[in-house]
Amino acid sequence: MSVVEIAGVLLAIMMLFLMGGVWIGITLALTGFLGLTLFAKTPAGEGLFTAFWGSNASWELAALPMFIWMGEILFRTKLSEQMFAGLAPWLNRVPGRLMHTTILGCGIFGSVSGSSAATCATIAKVALPELMKRGYNEKLALGSLATAGTLGILIPPSITMVVYAVAADASIIRIFLAGFIPGLILMLLFSGYIMWWSIRNPDQVPPAEPDMSFVAKLRASGNLIPCTLLIVFIVVVLVKGWATATECAAYGVLGSLAIAAQSRMLTWQNFRDSLMGATRVSCMIMFILAGAKYLSLTMAFTGIPRELAEWVASLHLAPFALISVLAVLYIVLGTALDGISMIVLTSTVVLPMILKAGFDVVWFGIFIVLLVEIAEVTPPVGFNLFVLQNMTGKDSNTIARASLPFFACLVVCIGIITVFPQTVMWLPDVVMGVAK
Amino acid sequence: MRRLLDWSYDAAGSLAAFFVFAIFMVMICASVMRELSIKTGGVEDLVAWFCAAAAFLAMPHAFRHGDFVRMELLISHLPPVRRRVAEIASLALGTAFCAYLAFWAVRMTWGSYEYGVMSDGLLVLPIWIPQLSFVTGAVLLCVAMADELVCVLRGQRPTYVIAVEERHARGDFTEDI
Repeated sequence: MSVVEIAGVLLAIMMLFLMGGVWIGITLALTGFLGLTLFAKTPAGEGLFTAFWGSNASWELAALPMFIWMGEILFRTKLSEQMFAGLAPWLNRVPGRLMHTTILGCGIFGSVSGSSAATCATIAKVALPELMKRGYNEKLALGSLATAGTLGILIPPSITMVVYAVAADASIIRIFLAGFIPGLILMLLFSGYIMWWSIRNPDQVPPAEPDMSFVAKLRASGNLIPCTLLIVFIVVVLVKGWATATECAAYGVLGSLAIAAQSRMLTWQNFRDSLMGATRVSCMIMFILAGAKYLSLTMAFTGIPRELAEWVASLHLAPFALISVLAVLYIVLGTALDGISMIVLTSTVVLPMILKAGFDVVWFGIFIVLLVEIAEVTPPVGFNLFVLQNMTGKDSNTIARASLPFFACLVVCIGIITVFPQTVMWLPDVVMGVAK
Repeated sequence: MRRLLDWSYDAAGSLAAFFVFAIFMVMICASVMRELSIKTGGVEDLVAWFCAAAAFLAMPHAFRHGDFVRMELLISHLPPVRRRVAEIASLALGTAFCAYLAFWAVRMTWGSYEYGVMSDGLLVLPIWIPQLSFVTGAVLLCVAMADELVCVLRGQRPTYVIAVEERHARGDFTEDI
């Protein structure tokens, strides 16, 4: 059988399993098993053991449970309430006023959490009732919360980035650093849209709150100090290169525990729940990664990624054309799959192609994270839509329509990083030196 | 029997959580020791094994809890009878795969024990000791899959579906990325 036929058969098998609802990790491993047994004539069992053991017994991967745990602890504190109270007094004079708490809140929470759904849920829980009480436009609030929640995976730490770094065998810290500037650009775009909308619809923006004195404002923001310190700490550690990603994550956990203790939320119940939750989520992700590692063994034996990369290279596509095709592919995949699965599923095949076409592995990581963010707000299975649907009772299609302008901001951001790759590469290059 | 099974999934899950906590403690201790210029060779191996233990031991618990992701787009729209057929097919495939995984975990780990294979990092230990977490997790995951298969065949709704519904009804989205 030719490589193309083998690839076709394996793809068909995988699609069948996926659509039938077989768990992603098992789908990947089963496809790998069938590929090895049918086409490679190599002992499939030893490979399975080595792939699973090698994938999980990894020092790099240990950062994953740490970052997840950190988010889980902070989710169980009063951080989001404090954030709203601390940010609100400063936003009185900005067009759009308190609406910006959604963007800033998600941005700040995103710098301590690595999950998009958790960021969205945490900020929406507090900001949404407060905004509705004051009469802000509901559609704008829903759209901005759904989309800004995705900042959780773009602004480091990010679970999605750890998974990508492991799947692509790239430096976690480099990809983290690369996420800062696109994250800021995206926040500016979101806030810019809110300002533009508010200036055009002045009748729909409630009046300003009574002005507070500067000292009172500072006092209101005092609650944010611990969280700010934690963010500054993580950023400094990453930028100065003092610690590995895993160590940085462990100190992040320590800081989060301290914040939880300081706000008297560190009960045994919360501690246990957060630890168990983190354990389950990391187990789920590591199971998918192990399955993918096994599948990549099959891929290496059959040579599908190499052939595909050469075929794509032989087409002499313009880099922009390739990127556009991939963007469309990921948006389509994203309507049905979650971000982690999407990245793990495609990395073995897509990465050789991308590298051969001359793209940087770090740049592509940010690109793919932005596409995952889009996937989180596109129906039918955008997870942030689902979160807000559960919280508000609004239909997810309504929320998706409300997110459209912010969706456009994401597309603009992808355009910016594609035209100006320096926005992604500058920070990691300055901090860690140019790679290779 | 039911209680024994549930207990063993949860016990393995708690043990996995302990290893997550252990990674945290070891990382903090190692960085402090390094500042005091105490040698910390082998820490990376230790953390890697803890990471494996956390991942493998949590499998049955995470599976039952509905954390293993799958593509639900199609099956969630199926009428109840077909949905049940899809669940049974998935579980049957899952059980078969996990049995295979467990078989090889046992076989390879037994091999390392028999031949006295040592780990090849800085921390030298018979490799079967850390690999025991793989064996335990894989065997229990296989049991959990088969357990679930039997329950669904008897007409119950899968535990992992109910667990996710309950979690989302509480407004808890921490376990979704």
